[in-house]
Amino acid sequence: MSETTPPVLDCHDVTVRFGDVVALSDVSISFASGAIHAVVGQNGAGKTTFARVIAGLIDPDEGSVRISGRDMPKGSVNDARRAGVELVHQNFALPPSFTVAEAMQFGGAGGKLYTRSQLERRWQAHLDALNINVKAGQRIRDLPVESQQSVEIARALVTDAKLLILDEPTAVLSPEGTEKLFERIRHLKSAGVTIILILHKIREVLAIADTVSVLRGGKLVEGPVACSGIDADKLSELIIGPSARPLDEDDRAALTGSASLLHTHVGASAQDGAAPPILDMKSVSSAPDGDGPPLADVSLAIRPGEIVGVAGVEGNGQRTLVRALSALAEVQSGTIALDGKQVTTMPLQGRRIAGLRVIPFERNVEGLSLTSSLWENWSARKLLQGSLLSWIRPSALRSECKSALDTWDVRYATVAQRAGSLSGGNAQKVILSREMDEDARLIIAAQPTRGLDIGATAFVWDALDKARRRKCGILLISSDLDEIMDICDRVVVMLSGRIAGTFEPPYDIARIGAAMTGVAHDR
Amino acid sequence: MTDSLVSIARALVFIVVALVLCAVIFSIAGFSAELMFSAILDGAFLRNGALNHALRWGLPLFITAVGVAISFRAGYFNIGAQGQFYVGAICAAFVAEWTSGAPAFVVIPLCFLAGMIGGALWALWPGLLRLRSGADEVITTLMGNFLAGLLLVYVTSGPLKDQSGSGQQASSRPLDAAYRISNSLGVSPTIIAIAVIVGLSMWLLVNRTSFGMMSGLAGRNPTMVTWQGAKLWKVGLASFIISGALAGLAGTIELMGPNGRLASGFLPAHGFTAILIALVANLSILGSAVAALFFGGLASAALYLPVIAGLPSSAIDIINAAIALFITARSQLIDRIMRFRSRANG
Repeated sequence: MSETTPPVLDCHDVTVRFGDVVALSDVSISFASGAIHAVVGQNGAGKTTFARVIAGLIDPDEGSVRISGRDMPKGSVNDARRAGVELVHQNFALPPSFTVAEAMQFGGAGGKLYTRSQLERRWQAHLDALNINVKAGQRIRDLPVESQQSVEIARALVTDAKLLILDEPTAVLSPEGTEKLFERIRHLKSAGVTIILILHKIREVLAIADTVSVLRGGKLVEGPVACSGIDADKLSELIIGPSARPLDEDDRAALTGSASLLHTHVGASAQDGAAPPILDMKSVSSAPDGDGPPLADVSLAIRPGEIVGVAGVEGNGQRTLVRALSALAEVQSGTIALDGKQVTTMPLQGRRIAGLRVIPFERNVEGLSLTSSLWENWSARKLLQGSLLSWIRPSALRSECKSALDTWDVRYATVAQRAGSLSGGNAQKVILSREMDEDARLIIAAQPTRGLDIGATAFVWDALDKARRRKCGILLISSDLDEIMDICDRVVVMLSGRIAGTFEPPYDIARIGAAMTGVAHDR
Repeated sequence: MTDSLVSIARALVFIVVALVLCAVIFSIAGFSAELMFSAILDGAFLRNGALNHALRWGLPLFITAVGVAISFRAGYFNIGAQGQFYVGAICAAFVAEWTSGAPAFVVIPLCFLAGMIGGALWALWPGLLRLRSGADEVITTLMGNFLAGLLLVYVTSGPLKDQSGSGQQASSRPLDAAYRISNSLGVSPTIIAIAVIVGLSMWLLVNRTSFGMMSGLAGRNPTMVTWQGAKLWKVGLASFIISGALAGLAGTIELMGPNGRLASGFLPAHGFTAILIALVANLSILGSAVAALFFGGLASAALYLPVIAGLPSSAIDIINAAIALFITARSQLIDRIMRFRSRANG
C-alpha cells in the first residue's frame, strides 16, 4: 500500500433505503488494493446491498462511490464494469440451459456472431488459464454447484477485473469446496486482484481475509481492521451486538460460525433409547422427482426426543427426502412408518393427521400464501384435518390464530393482514406456530433458519429444542453445518440421494465434509 | 368486510372513469356526452320500472357471475360461462319437450335439474382436462363457448325447431305458458327467490366452509395448499362443477322466464358480462349482487341510448368494454406494483 496508490474502493456516506427500511446507513469505508477484504454481518445487515451498490446495481440514495480514485456515476453497472468491478452473485445468475462457453460469452462481453466451436475454443483457454476444470461445451445445469461457482468467477474475470466481489460464496459449498475456493482466491490476490468477500462465518473470515469489516443493521460498526489484530470472540460480539436475549456460548459460536472444527457440544438430548421410533424409513427408493436425485435405499430412524440433522451439499436428494416423507414424491420401494404405523401409501393429509408436520424449504411459496391473510394461512392445517364441507367459524379461527401468534411472539398488526407483509423471521414464526402444535409427532424442518437474522435463528432453535423436550422427533435439513452440529443429536449426510454417512457427537467437521463430497464413506 | 367495501368503492371509481372516457369518445364522434349520461341514468336507474328492468337482466347475470367468482377464486379461469349457460338452457329445453304435458310442478324442477347438470357437464370436461393433463382451461372453456353456440344453432334449426317460426332467427318451439316462471318482462318472485337462495348458499359455501377457505388459499398459492396435504383436484373439480351448474341455472331461468324459447345466438354477451361482474366485485358474492344490478341497469339503459342520445344501442357494448378494460388494467396494475415492491424488498 504505497502513498500514491488510491484505495481501490472508497465509499463515502452511502445510504440506501427501500421504502421505510434503511438497508445501509451512512457507510463510509475504503479498501486498499491487492488484499482480501471480508465484510461480515448477520442476515439483513446490509451486506448484499453493499455489494450491489459497489457493482452499480443499486443506486444509493445518498453518498458517493469512488473506484481507483475515480468517481462512479450512481447506479451504473456498465461504468462499474469498465472500472474493473465484477460481482459474483449469491444466487448464481447463469442461464441453466447455456453451455459454459455461451454463458461466458454473453454474460461478459456479448454481441458478435461466433460459431459454437470458436466459442468453446476461446473460453476453454480462459478456463484452463484459471485452472478451472470444466469443459466449455457442458451445459450449466449439468454442472455441480462448485463448478457453477467457478464458472461464475471465470466469467467475472473475463474482463480485466481489478475488484472482484463475491457475495456469500461459501453458502453452497462443502467444507472442502470452500477450501478450494479459498486457494483460488489467494491465487487471484497474488495476480493483483482486490477481492471483497461477503461472508457470515467468522472461521472462514479468519482463514482467508486480510482485513475484516462488520456491518450491523445497515451501519458499519467496525473496520476495515487487519484480521491479525482481532479474534473470534471480539468479532462475534461485533456481529451480534447487544443481544436482546442471552445466547449460550455454543449457540453463539454456531450463529457466527466461529466454532472450532472439532465440535464437542452435545445437544441437551431428551431421547429415550428404548422408545419405538417415531419415524422409521426402511430402504426407501423414490422415483426421479425433478427436484433433485431420487432417493436410493434410504433408511433412517428417529426416536422420540431426538433431532436428526441431514447435512449435505444442496441438491443431493434432501428435497426428495422431504417430499417423499410428505407423500409428494412417489416411493417406489421400501416402507415408511410413522409412530409405528405404516404410512408408505398414505397421502399427506392422513400423515398430517397422524402427527407429521412440515416446515418446507421455500417459506414464501410452500409455507405461506403471501397474498392471503395470516389467519387463513394459520388455519389451513386445522381445516385440512376435517372434511372440505365442514362448517367453520372465521371469528373463532381468527381469535385462535391471534392467541397462537401472540404465544409465538409474532410481530403483526392484525390477523387479517397479508402474510406477505411480514418480515422473514416473523413469517417463519407463523409457520412454526402452525406446524409445531401439541399434536405434532414428527417435525420436518427444512432450512428453517435460512435468511433469518440471529435473533430469529436462535428463536427457531429454541422452538426445535422445546419440541424435542416434548418427545417429538425432529428431522432438520440444513446446509449450515454449524447449525446442524450445534443442535442435532445425530447427523446423516446425503450424497446423490443416498445416506453417505452417519455421525454421532462429538462431530468432526472434516469427516462430515469428506462424506458430503464423497471422498470417504463412513459406516 | 371493510376490505370488500374498499374494493367495491375502488371498482366504482374505475367505472366512472370508464364512463367519462366513453363520453369523451362519443363526443368526439359527434354525440352529446350529456345526453349519454342522462340516457344511462334515466334508462338504468331513474325512470319508472327501472328497478324491474335492472332485476330482469341482473338476476340471471348475478347467478352466472357467482359461479364465475367461485372458479376464479379457486384459481381456475373458467371463461366458458357463455357456453355453460347455453348448454344448460338447451338441456332444460329438451327436458321440457320430453315431459310436455306433465304437471308444472314436475316439469319445472326437472328442467332446472337438467339445466344445472348440463351446465356442470359443460364445465366438467375442461376441468378434467385441466386437472388430469394440465390443458389450459382458458383455451378449452373458450372453445367450449363456440361449440355450445353451434350446438344451439343446430338444436334450434334441427331437433327443437319451431316450424311455424317466421323470423330470420331459428328458434325452438315456445314453452307452454304453464311452464313459464315469469312473463316476458322477466321478473317474478320465483326468479328472485332462486337468486336469493343461490346468493345465500354460495356466500355460506365461500365464507363459512372449509371448502371456501381452501379454495381461496389454493387460488392464491396452490403449492402451499399442496404442502398442507389438500387434494387440489377435489377443490378444483368442485369449483368447475359449481360454476358450470350456476351458468346452466341462469340459462334455464332465461329459457323458462323472459325468453320462453331458445333462439340461436340469444344473449350472446351474457357470459362475458358475468365475468366482468365477478371481476368488478373482486370475486365477492355480495359485491357480485351489487355489480349485477348495476350491469343489469346498464343493459336496460341500452334501449334508451338510441332514443335519448341518438347513439346506437350497441354503444352499451363499448361502455362495457371500456369498463372491462379498466377493471382488468386495475388488477394488472396492482400486480405489477406488488411485484415491484417485493423485488425492492428482496
